[in-house]
This record gives sequence, structure tokens and C-alpha cells, in this order.
Amino acid sequence: MKIGTIDVKVSIVAIAVFVFFTLLLLVASLSSAEVRSQLIWLIPALFMLLVIPVALNYMSRSQYADMEPIYEAEAKTVRIKLINENMVGKPVRVEGVVERVYFQFLNRPQYLVADRSGAISVKMFTSPDEDVKVDDVVEVLGQVIRRYILTGDPVINCVSIRKIKKP
Amino acid sequence: MVQTPREKSDQSAIKSHRWLELAVPFFSFGGGLLAIVFLITGAPADFRISILGCVIASWVLAYLAWIRPKKDIVALSTPIYSFIFIAVPTDTSSAVILELLYAVSLTVLLVRLKYRFGKPGTAVYGGRELADPLKTYIEHTRESSSGISPETAHLATLAFVRFAEGEYKNSAQFSGTAAGQLEDTGSNFCLTRAFKIVKDHAALLDQSLPRPLTYRKFFPDDAFLLAKPTDPSHDQDTEFYTALDNALLLVFSAAWNKSERDRPHLLACQAFAQKLMSSQ
Repeated sequence: MKIGTIDVKVSIVAIAVFVFFTLLLLVASLSSAEVRSQLIWLIPALFMLLVIPVALNYMSRSQYADMEPIYEAEAKTVRIKLINENMVGKPVRVEGVVERVYFQFLNRPQYLVADRSGAISVKMFTSPDEDVKVDDVVEVLGQVIRRYILTGDPVINCVSIRKIKKP
Repeated sequence: MVQTPREKSDQSAIKSHRWLELAVPFFSFGGGLLAIVFLITGAPADFRISILGCVIASWVLAYLAWIRPKKDIVALSTPIYSFIFIAVPTDTSSAVILELLYAVSLTVLLVRLKYRFGKPGTAVYGGRELADPLKTYIEHTRESSSGISPETAHLATLAFVRFAEGEYKNSAQFSGTAAGQLEDTGSNFCLTRAFKIVKDHAALLDQSLPRPLTYRKFFPDDAFLLAKPTDPSHDQDTEFYTALDNALLLVFSAAWNKSERDRPHLLACQAFAQKLMSSQ
């Protein structure tokens, strides 16, 4: 679904929750007159289950879209091995192969990207523009952060991940 | 083979970690078994004594998670759940089942920690002293940094630290100045080359440029001072990037050996230097 220039994606979990409560409300309203009398606020509440994730996704994606040109200009292309805890806060660009993909169904995907020098976790807090899968060769733009904010190994807080042509 | 004091202390640490790993199922299942004994015999003791086994096991597991380079947030948070165990009153029979299930969970988490979160202590760098293999390398190359001035050694620190921080432009500047100073004195050709290699790479990284067709490398005579051997069979990419690792480590060694006041800054970058040492 497109809102303006932003391609909004709703996670499968949000859709599943909406469908579940729709069915629940349908069954409950058919079997109970008391529920039917409350439909005036139950139906809007039901739609809020869909509207809120859409709004949140739109806001986060539009914010990421605004940040992308800044990162494009400032990020240095580095090999994964050079990323270390002293670089926390630095914008970086890495190119590599996606070895694993986690939590894509939550719209908060996490990738394990590797180049010839090593591998690093790439965390994204919104849905990516492209559907990135294992074995895709990608370019990642993001900021070096610690895995658990104050502690943990360095990971990339991803602003953009896009597929690039295989050499 | 004679063991160094560090190797001895490493082995005793491994032993103590092994005991701690055994302590997790021992205390958790031990508590569960104690609870079963209380249940069967109807002993008048406070039932929460048996739950203490799970609490101790949780804290031990959290400690084992804490000392690993990759932190497991699930294992780290188990003491919170064990506290809930004590705080929330339950009846005896359901508490026994819960306790046994909790003991199984802790054991599963321990196995997960061992196989998915690396060995303990491998990244506890950045303390007050250098760890091996970097320490051995620094000692091996101590002689090579003799004859460099404190000013050049300080520039070596700045070049290395800025490189580790991703401040490539600054690193290139400091490396260039240090190389110039060494060239003026006409000594230490290998270190001069190391500074020049760092300068070239830092300049390329600052501009996000790829590997050039021709690039600076170490000479075969320098091999005994290099941390990572260069193999003629390596492709150009490997040769190019190995030269950078070797150059950075040589610069680190010069800084460490000749600029004692800068050591706290170098220790802060130790994890990066260790990564360069141990990587392929």
C-alpha cells in the first residue's frame, strides 16, 4: 500500500491479529445481543488494530527515507572486519552476502551479512524497501551501534539495505 | 612444554568455568529433587529452601552469559525470573513441577549459551593489560621500535586509534607525518613502510575507493616483523588487506613500546587489534 511516496507494509502478525479479532467479533455478535449493542465502538476499535500498525510503519519508513540521503553522503565504505566498538555512532556502508534473515514477519528484520573479511548483524527497525533473502548480495547503509545499547558486540543499525548485482 | 603464567591462569579459568557450567544443572535439579523429598516426607522445612537451588543456578548462568563476548539477553535475565519464583507464593505440588521445568529451561539455556554464544572471556579485552596473542607479538617486535622518538610513537598511537574509530582522514594525516619523521632520521624502514601503508589505506577508505591496481607492500625482508605471513599464492585482495593488518599491528606495537603514556588509549582499542591478529 502506498501513502504518498512511502510504500507501507503491514506485518503478517498485525494482519493475523486483525483477522483473529474480526472473526471473534463476528461470532460474538452473532451469538450475543449484548455484544451487538456495543458494535458502535467495537468496530472502530477493531480497525484501529490495522490502522495503528499502518501509521507506525508509515512514520518509521518516512523517517528512514529522510535519513537515507544523509547516510549516502556521510557513510564510508568499509570491510566488515574494520567495524569495531570504537566506531560506535559512525555511519558506514558495507557490501556483502546475506547469510541469514530473522524476524522478517515482524517487519523488524535482522540480517547476518558477510563479506570476505567477516560477518556482522544488521538490524533494521522498520521494513526494508526490497524483499531481501538469503544469498542476496546487498549494500547496507547504517550506523554502528552496540547490540544491547550499552554493551554487546558492534552491529549495524540499518537505514537502508538494497540488493546489488552479483559480480 | 613449559607453560607461561598467562597460560596457567587461562587453564585455571577454563576449569572454573567448567565447574560453574556443571553448577547450573546441579543446583537447579538439586533444588527440584529436594522439593520432591520435602513433598514425599512432608518435612516441616520452608519450601522456598528448595527454590534457592534455582535462584543460585540462575545467577551462575547469568554470570556465564556476562563473561562472554556475545551477550545472551535471555540467560542474563534469568535471575529476574528466579526472583519471581521466590516472591510469588504457590502451592507445593505445582511449585515442584514449575521448579523441575525451570531446571530443564536453565539447562537448555546453558547448552544454547555454550554452542551459540562463544567461549567465555574471549573478548574481555580493554582491561589493564594486553592479552595474547597481541601481547606476544608486541614483545616479539619490541626491538624493531627502538630508535623512534616519543613524538613519532605518539603519532603512531593517534594513527592507530583514529583508524580504529573510523576517522580515516585523521589517521592518514598522522601516518603521513610519522612516516615523514622516520624518513628524516633514515631509520626503521619497515615501520616507515607500515605508516605509509596505513596512510594509503586510510586515504582510500576516507574516499570510499576500491583497491587500486598498484599498491604498497612489505618487502620479503620484513617478514619476521609481520604478525600475519604473506603467502605468494594469495590473491591480490588478500595480499592488499593483509598488508594493512600487518601495518596497523606494527604501528600499534611501536606505539605501545615507545609511548607508555598513550597505553590507556591503546588498551581501549585492544579488541580491534586482537581482531586484526586473529582474523584470516
